[in-house]
Amino acid sequence: MSVETLYHALGLTAAASPALLLAVFGLTMLFSRPLSEKAMERCTETAVLTGLASSIGILVLMLMTGERQVPVELGNWVAIPQEHFHFHLKLVFDRLSVPFVVLTFLLVGTTGAFANRYLHRETGYRRFFLLYAMFLMGMVVASLAGTIETLFLGWELVGLSSALLVAYFHDRPSPVLNGQRVWSVYRVADAAFLIAAVALHHVSGEGDFAGLMGTGAWPEGQAGLTSGQALFVGLLLLVAAAGKSALIPFSGWLPRAMEGPTPSSAIFYGALSVHLGTFLLLRVSAILELSFWLSAIVVLLGLATAVYGSLAARVQSDIKSGLAFSSLTQVGIITAEIGLGFRYLALVHMIGHACLRTLQLLRAPSLIRDYHNLENAIGEHLQPRPGLWERWLSPAIQRKLYRLAFERGGFDAVLQQYMVRPFLAFFQLCDRLERRWTDFLAGTTSRESDRIPTAPVAEGPE
Amino acid sequence: MKHGIDHVRTEGCADGDEADADLAESSAGTEACRLNELEHHIAHAAHLLPSQGPISVFVHHNTLHPFEDLPFHAAVEQGLEIYGCQPYLAEDQYRAELARGRIRHDHLEQVLLEDLGERADDLIGFMGTRYHLWLAMLEHPLRFGTDAETRWLVAETDALKRFLAATPDVLRNRAVSRTRNLVLHRPESSAADADPQLTETIRQLLKQFVGDPGHRWSDSTWEAFTLQLLWQVCRHVVHSVPGQPRQVTLPIRHTRLLLLATGIDVETPVSELLVRCSAAFLDQGFAGWTLPGRERGFFHAFTALYRDSRPVAGWLRELPRELRRIEQAGLTPLESINESLRLLGVDRDEEENYLTRALLALRGWAGMLWQMETNAEWAVHPAPPGSLVEYLAVRLILERLALQYFARVLLPAGGDLTGLRSRLRSEIGHAPAATVEQRAFVLFQLAQLRGWAPAELQAQTLDERSRLVAEIEAFSSLHRRRIYHQAYERCYAHQALDAIAIHVARQPVPQQHRKTFQLVTCIDDREESFRRHVEEVDAACETYGAAGFYAVAMYYQGAGDAHFRPLCPAVVKPGHYVREEAAWSLEVSSRQRAETRRTIGTASHRWHLQSRTLWGGILTALFGSLASVPLITRILFPRLTARLTRLFDSLIQPPPVTELRLLRDGDPPGPENGGLGYTVDEMADCVQRVLEDIGLTHDFARLVILLGHGSGSLNNPHESAYNCGACSGGRGGPNARAFAEMANSPKVRLKLFERGLVLPESTFFVGGYHNTCDDDVTYFDLSRVPLSHRQEFETARDTIDEARGRNAVERCRRFESAPLELRPGEALEHVQARSEDLSQARPEYNHATNTLCLVGRRSRTRGLFLDRRAFLTDYDPTADDADHSVLARVLAAAVPVCAGISLEYYFSTVDVAGYGCGSKLPHNVVSLLGVMEGAAGDLRTGLSQQMVEIHEAMRILFVIETTPQAMQQVMDGNPVVGRLIANEWVQLAVLDPESSRLHVYRQGAFVPWRQETKDLPTTASSLDWCRGRRGHLGFASIVGASAPTEPARVTASREKSRPATAMGAHHVG
Repeated sequence: MSVETLYHALGLTAAASPALLLAVFGLTMLFSRPLSEKAMERCTETAVLTGLASSIGILVLMLMTGERQVPVELGNWVAIPQEHFHFHLKLVFDRLSVPFVVLTFLLVGTTGAFANRYLHRETGYRRFFLLYAMFLMGMVVASLAGTIETLFLGWELVGLSSALLVAYFHDRPSPVLNGQRVWSVYRVADAAFLIAAVALHHVSGEGDFAGLMGTGAWPEGQAGLTSGQALFVGLLLLVAAAGKSALIPFSGWLPRAMEGPTPSSAIFYGALSVHLGTFLLLRVSAILELSFWLSAIVVLLGLATAVYGSLAARVQSDIKSGLAFSSLTQVGIITAEIGLGFRYLALVHMIGHACLRTLQLLRAPSLIRDYHNLENAIGEHLQPRPGLWERWLSPAIQRKLYRLAFERGGFDAVLQQYMVRPFLAFFQLCDRLERRWTDFLAGTTSRESDRIPTAPVAEGPE
Repeated sequence: MKHGIDHVRTEGCADGDEADADLAESSAGTEACRLNELEHHIAHAAHLLPSQGPISVFVHHNTLHPFEDLPFHAAVEQGLEIYGCQPYLAEDQYRAELARGRIRHDHLEQVLLEDLGERADDLIGFMGTRYHLWLAMLEHPLRFGTDAETRWLVAETDALKRFLAATPDVLRNRAVSRTRNLVLHRPESSAADADPQLTETIRQLLKQFVGDPGHRWSDSTWEAFTLQLLWQVCRHVVHSVPGQPRQVTLPIRHTRLLLLATGIDVETPVSELLVRCSAAFLDQGFAGWTLPGRERGFFHAFTALYRDSRPVAGWLRELPRELRRIEQAGLTPLESINESLRLLGVDRDEEENYLTRALLALRGWAGMLWQMETNAEWAVHPAPPGSLVEYLAVRLILERLALQYFARVLLPAGGDLTGLRSRLRSEIGHAPAATVEQRAFVLFQLAQLRGWAPAELQAQTLDERSRLVAEIEAFSSLHRRRIYHQAYERCYAHQALDAIAIHVARQPVPQQHRKTFQLVTCIDDREESFRRHVEEVDAACETYGAAGFYAVAMYYQGAGDAHFRPLCPAVVKPGHYVREEAAWSLEVSSRQRAETRRTIGTASHRWHLQSRTLWGGILTALFGSLASVPLITRILFPRLTARLTRLFDSLIQPPPVTELRLLRDGDPPGPENGGLGYTVDEMADCVQRVLEDIGLTHDFARLVILLGHGSGSLNNPHESAYNCGACSGGRGGPNARAFAEMANSPKVRLKLFERGLVLPESTFFVGGYHNTCDDDVTYFDLSRVPLSHRQEFETARDTIDEARGRNAVERCRRFESAPLELRPGEALEHVQARSEDLSQARPEYNHATNTLCLVGRRSRTRGLFLDRRAFLTDYDPTADDADHSVLARVLAAAVPVCAGISLEYYFSTVDVAGYGCGSKLPHNVVSLLGVMEGAAGDLRTGLSQQMVEIHEAMRILFVIETTPQAMQQVMDGNPVVGRLIANEWVQLAVLDPESSRLHVYRQGAFVPWRQETKDLPTTASSLDWCRGRRGHLGFASIVGASAPTEPARVTASREKSRPATAMGAHHVG
């Protein structure tokens, strides 16, 4: 067996094992043949271990052969020659994707083992693991993506599963509302991503990263775009990354995403999901080099997010929000590192941060016990030590800063006021126009849905 | 809600604004009076808020404590009205219990008869008595669905083709044959002639059926035809009786009305802001940056924060101006509430209700503010007095602004809110009354089950019809659930009391034999099985149950603890301070270790904080990959990790030999050196109190072991709830240790001798600690065990070790993730693994399934299998005085404590989302005070779904060994106990110490118990009885010899029962 075939087989296995897991969970549920908790546990274990083993296998092979970029072709799934369009699935193993996919398997696998006991006897156990499989598949596909459409496929799966897991407790209103909130921010990011992908196709005729970045394995590739094109496409990709990684001004969804079960919060918002945006920037980092302005904007956005995140983290009084904003701080710094061109640093930073935050979030329910133990060890009550802000700044400015942090920068309100409201107003106007028109044509009220009461009906005690 | 008709005079205040408008002088007085009144309303409302304090000091208490003045059933209905929480289990759950025999039909009959009283035998037309009609509604699985569900059932199921499965064949055949006669012999049928409507219905129906009814119709066609006809007739009957309009109470608050009328949710944005403010205000040291100005109160801090802000959110735009206006006007929070109420147009007679509802809107947070303000002087940051009022003032200001903003299209110019509610009320669509189909479907099902033929029904006069329909509709779902619930409880009470009666009769008279040792544990239900197993392993030992603080009410500081914490029931304020110190000879090493702990602790605290900051975060994240090691080992190899951390801990924890500072000379008690400990007199009081309570005043064994208890688990914010309730959520080991030391002291014994209590010189007391989560038992001060007693101690320890293993087996059967066929050693390993597992949401089941409390001599019930469901309090009625003073003081503690636990479990089970704290999976620890769901939810009190999932919601049944007269006397003497029993918050039975006859307390009187069964299964051992079974187990007498059924005695367990003495801090970070 040649090395090529081995690469191909291992690469396929790495991507196929989560896909198979998703198919097994999805199909058994679809045909009302639910698996037992034990069986699901075993399936998850097998899939993760297989995936992990084959990606490590590839890593070893790459180290042995000195190969720096291993593409695995999955062919064109859609091709429209006259439009010069093809939907091309391709995986690529390189210095960026291999560490990231190993990290994914490791963290998702560990969290799976955790969740398996944590969610024991839970009515939504199967739903959770279905979404878990979807997330794993999305992460693996996104990290290994060799073309922009492959990346988008993974990106979407991650987004969908994350939003559904935020709304996991769908019998209460607030998880559902917050799940929708996350979802709508993700849609904005997705839209930006799609436009960027189309633009890339338009410019280069294909979405293949290799074509885009010219020759050379990550991170040495050279993009074949002009500076202006790079700025345009890069900005769109930056919007996509900002939405996914909760950078300014999209940060508001991050604490809201803490509605799901603790393990999903840990893996998604602490560790992997939130890094997907920065991963995208790393993946297309060749574009960043082409435009000074683009790099500058990335650095500024990253730094602004980091400062904002660290401020907000200081005032949170609950552990999950505190950790969410601390994550955000680091994600901001990672973004800035990417903008500055420190790619390996960013990668190491990302991996370390993901591991640390997962551990912290999984341990979050222990907070009271941990504090108690610390108090006993130190021998006094743990009191927050005033930070730099508190020592150097005048009380009025302190209060302003505190308020800014307390209000989470007011970004949610800004988005609500200046994006959501105009958007809704416009579509409500369209709706009114359409209704007037159809009523006129029908000669009567034309909307059957109007008759269904939308507001909840007053209920007595019984 | 009445709408401003006239004002009610309250508290002797002068009335109204207009009356006093001309008297400027008196208006100041009136104003003060009004504010007083408001303050009074708020204080009153505050008592309705959850009274759970900080989660680190979790004390079980009756969730509906404020309603204890009411009878139980009235109180749960109040709870439904005020909190919107379920009073009983869902009807479907009770029906399922009926189907599987957990609720018995004869009990249903009894309870219904008692409930109806004289009204039971009223005749409802030809249908029989009310009793029969209602019983039919209870006994059969009727569907009381919504309109849509009914229509679906009629259209899509064979509800109109087949009789209900529960219909007796006789009745079905009769109904079908009557219909057949009616149709085939129509001309002769006088009934049909008399009723043209029926004839017409039959004619219409016949058109829908194919073929000639005379010859071709099969039985099933006839059945379908009968049912169709019956259905039509039921609809006619119901149609002729107008339905009762649904009683809908509209909410009183504007925000709720706005939501109902328009779907605009004002509550959520207001709540989110208030939650953040309350969390920051109450924070006990989590946030790195505390709310500026919080020491000056909630209102001030809020004003200072927002008075010069420029909010982006539309609804908050007016906030700064409003706050400045209030500040300039110099309004106090109370005055601001007064003003807000006026601006909102709230009348005086509804003020109290309005304020109550406003507080209940975020009842977890409001309750915590109140607790921190009134009941937490020991906390790091108690809230200043008046916090709840200030919170309410802010809340009303925010609500006003939000309403003004969101309801602006509905408001008159100028945004006047006073008329908003009447406007909204008029816009709320009324809930549709139950439709004819919905109402008819119940009648239709009943008609099948009771065998009413269509013609019979149709023949009723209008009067009779309305009587019937009204009667059916009068038996509301709430009422049905109440009956079911009582039958559900009665079934268990019957099993329990019958079992006790039979077992007591079987019990041989205890013989005087040499006792190997005596074991005293807490009364806790988790110790029931432990004691039982100890007794089974060694038939010659005796066990006792006493409240687990062993009368040593103290502030305690362990050698590795930073602070004193109370170890006594929450209602007791300890008067003494006790500290554990390293043995003098080890002082140097102890100091070094403390230094090491401090260094490591400081470092890990730094790491903890820094990882959340900007620069520290970079550093920690760059080395964050190292975190993958603990991450993976902790989750994938929890036992190995636990072992390693224990090993590490043993190097830095206080040295293993410690002693208590227990003896005080003359100084007043206090936390400083001279004030630590008890005087000899006080020690003698403690020892005497416990020994008298449990009736251990003579026949001492040579060895008496006392075990305090607690529970240790990981990743569990509710950890304190699993600890000893008698130690306010602390671990009771130090209490047992202190007690043993006191009882061993010759000076104390001398004192006791003077008081007439003789402790033989040969008796030695040993204190210990039982961890109910991993079933580990540690003993204290073993080096002091005299040589003469060591052999005995070792034997006793072997017995206890064997019992630990068996106890673990019995516990494991309730854990679904534990295999059923575990051997004792394996079971111990399983429960140890649970306690060390980060991902374990059920380290143990705590008090779940509790349902009994036995107060009396253990010899009466020893050997009765109680399935870990009973609190066991020892009390010797034969040694009590004529005033029953021992019983009175035993019950003064046992009744409120056990009732509190039982009722908290009851309410969290019947409505886990409302009274309980929901699933623990999304819980988020906030302000180091409690848990909430998500990042801005209400603070959740009560028990989680994972804690109550195997619980059966029942009021606890006390079985007390005394006479009815004595019991009555105790109830009369103690209003708290008397109220709980008289209002039926707990069930009560007494067991006569002499005659062994049982009396139950029902509706204010003791009535003799009517035993239903004469047999009680026997089994060789507890393990035989529970082998291979998961669910609740019935009672049984254990008659086997004491020989262990498993030949292999536990060996693996020895290593765990190390003679550790230090109850120090656990591993850090």
